[in-house]
Amino acid sequence: MSRLATFLIAIPLMAQQSDQHPPPSTPADIAAGAKTFRSHCAPCHGYNGEGGRGPNLAAGRFYHGSSDLDLFNNITNGIAGTEMPGNFYSAVRIWQVVAYLRSLSANIEKPTGDARRGAKLYDAQGCARCHRIDGSGSGLGPDLSQIGSARSLEHLRLAIIDPSADVQPRYWRAVFEDSQGKKINGFLMNEDTYTVQIMDMNEQLHTYEKAGSVNYRIEKSSAMPAYTALSADEVNDLVAYLWTRRPQ
Amino acid sequence: MRVILLAALAIATVNGQVSYERLGSSHESANWLTYSGGYRSWRYSDLQRISTRNADKLKLEWVYQMPTTLMVETSPIVADGVMYVSEPPSNVVALDAKTGRQYWRYHRELPTPINVCCGQVNRGVAILGNRVFVGTVDAHLVALDAKSGAVLWDVAVADHKTGHAITGAPLVVKDMVICGIAGGEYGIRGFLDAYDAATGKRRWRFWTIPEPGQPGGDWAGDSWKTGGGPTWVTGSFDAEQNLLIWGTGNPSPDWNADSRPGANLYSDSAIALDVDTGKLKWYFQFIPHDTHDWDAVQVPVLVDDDWRGQKRKLIYWAHRGGFFYVLDRQTGEFLMGEPFAKQTWAKGLDDAGHPVLLPNIEPSPEGTYLWPGVQGATNWYSPSYNPETKLFYLSYWENRSVYRKGEQEYTAGNRYIGSVPLIDLPEDLGNGGIRALNPKTGAKVWEYKLQTKPWAGVLSTAGGLVFGGSDEGYFFALDAATGKEMWRQNLGGIIRANPVTYLVDGKQMVTIAAGNAMFTFGVE
Repeated sequence: MSRLATFLIAIPLMAQQSDQHPPPSTPADIAAGAKTFRSHCAPCHGYNGEGGRGPNLAAGRFYHGSSDLDLFNNITNGIAGTEMPGNFYSAVRIWQVVAYLRSLSANIEKPTGDARRGAKLYDAQGCARCHRIDGSGSGLGPDLSQIGSARSLEHLRLAIIDPSADVQPRYWRAVFEDSQGKKINGFLMNEDTYTVQIMDMNEQLHTYEKAGSVNYRIEKSSAMPAYTALSADEVNDLVAYLWTRRPQ
Repeated sequence: MRVILLAALAIATVNGQVSYERLGSSHESANWLTYSGGYRSWRYSDLQRISTRNADKLKLEWVYQMPTTLMVETSPIVADGVMYVSEPPSNVVALDAKTGRQYWRYHRELPTPINVCCGQVNRGVAILGNRVFVGTVDAHLVALDAKSGAVLWDVAVADHKTGHAITGAPLVVKDMVICGIAGGEYGIRGFLDAYDAATGKRRWRFWTIPEPGQPGGDWAGDSWKTGGGPTWVTGSFDAEQNLLIWGTGNPSPDWNADSRPGANLYSDSAIALDVDTGKLKWYFQFIPHDTHDWDAVQVPVLVDDDWRGQKRKLIYWAHRGGFFYVLDRQTGEFLMGEPFAKQTWAKGLDDAGHPVLLPNIEPSPEGTYLWPGVQGATNWYSPSYNPETKLFYLSYWENRSVYRKGEQEYTAGNRYIGSVPLIDLPEDLGNGGIRALNPKTGAKVWEYKLQTKPWAGVLSTAGGLVFGGSDEGYFFALDAATGKEMWRQNLGGIIRANPVTYLVDGKQMVTIAAGNAMFTFGVE
């Protein structure tokens, strides 16, 4: 069932709840929703809903209810126990925001590669030595079980051929050497004024006092090699496979 | 010290209540009776049982857990063995200050939705007689029975549906409760109110955004009606001059000023009001026509001291824009201003204290990088002044933001900010710490660096200590003279609150909120 169909079926219930006529969904309404979103929602959710202080709203996944009515209620009333506030906009304007949110994920680009070949390539290249999918593989690198819904195709492609282009702070590497010459090179798990928490390349966890270091630095490049030897088709296949990794 | 203690206990025994005289007394170090520990707002205590000699022996006395997941920014009141704590969003508990056990709890049922720009928080209560006063996020002011928590009166200060909220602690002066308002991100018209402590009836209101025809009322068109200038952090009181000194917040909308040309008085200002009438005596605007959300909602620190050879009544003010100011408290005259943190928006201050702006600092659609960031080089969390070291202590930030100019549209009760700023740069989060400034020059005397940007205030004591906290969850004590760390403890939760200290059964306690709990420490 398409998003639009879901939206239309839900209209009578929405109308009842909001005491409004069927919610708008024209391009003009979506544009109006975007305007409201950018003045009210974007400070936390990002200019294009990409997320920030608040969750990404552009991927079509919502953690507190995914129906249109859920979205309407959450936007109107806020979400208890979170920083999400309510507001005092009219029901029509809220529905416009809902329409805008739906539009963000309505035209998600589809991959051109072959996902089956990509899955074989994933195995052949030994990606599971660092990554985990559906419980299989290593926890050293990011879990890719649902990566298809979290990243754009271009982001996935770039992560394969130039992984250092965008490294999440969780995957920055800490290099720590103590006064006895012991050296640890691993992922920076956490850090405060006095201590640093590191996962080494054997997935062992360590905490060190910074005061005890003779050399401590953070490297923001990726530990993953750049797979530039892959052909363009192979990259597309791998991207297609990763794109299929999303919530069922 | 013994004499002071006995005097304080005697007052408590005789009166059994917290009188106005006690609020203004310099002999109440056993208690913590106002938001900043006194009308001069030094957040300083002359208690010295915890000192540089024994701070390393600080041990946990008790913990009180709050039933909330909201951010805790409270600064408690302690009166005669009872601690009064505000809990977010707008609840109050009375605790035994020795054990942390609860006497009573006031729970406020709130309407939905509630719009508060930066979290449903509360920074504290005020006390007078047998009454405790709290402001609420639905913009009410409530008087509670100090012994039972029963509601004595409950008045609407403003309409929460138009973005008004109360997050700051009230300040009691004489028989009045002074109460500020929040809502600078919702296009409110700011004000400061005084209410009769006995009845809740409003005595006066000072509009921080004057209407046309009034002094300062040169706002374009109807922009004054949505001009901001909130008053969300507790100010100070100069009893000799009968003056309230209070800070005002940003003009609205924050980052798109197209609708509000001009200075936008009295936003981003220090205002001095006659406490009996609410009439303006003087003002000093830190940033005319602010376009960066650099509120002047810091706690004004009132000090009488020599200034370049003359005895003067001074105000020390570390402002969100990154400059430390000294003002004359009688006139508002600008005396000095020096940067205390990195800033890239002003070449300096002119002779009147107005910023000499650098080019290309305005928010833009593509984004303008600037130090300090949106949250400023300091913010609402309290500074401290220690009369023994004569140093001014504060939590500082060194970071930048991307200031973007966006659409602005006023609709009642909804955000009216004109932008989507990038407050924190993910790969350049900045850092902060504690700095001690020589208030005569603005020069840094020492600093205690932190990995992260602290949202906690500081407390200094006659024991030669400065207490502070961090977002990392550490509560620490520093040598007030040198900044050397004397003690620290990880409390396991973000600290975004101000510390206080008091005596109970002759034992000095230090309290701060961390995570969703109150932690109290002492030395055996």
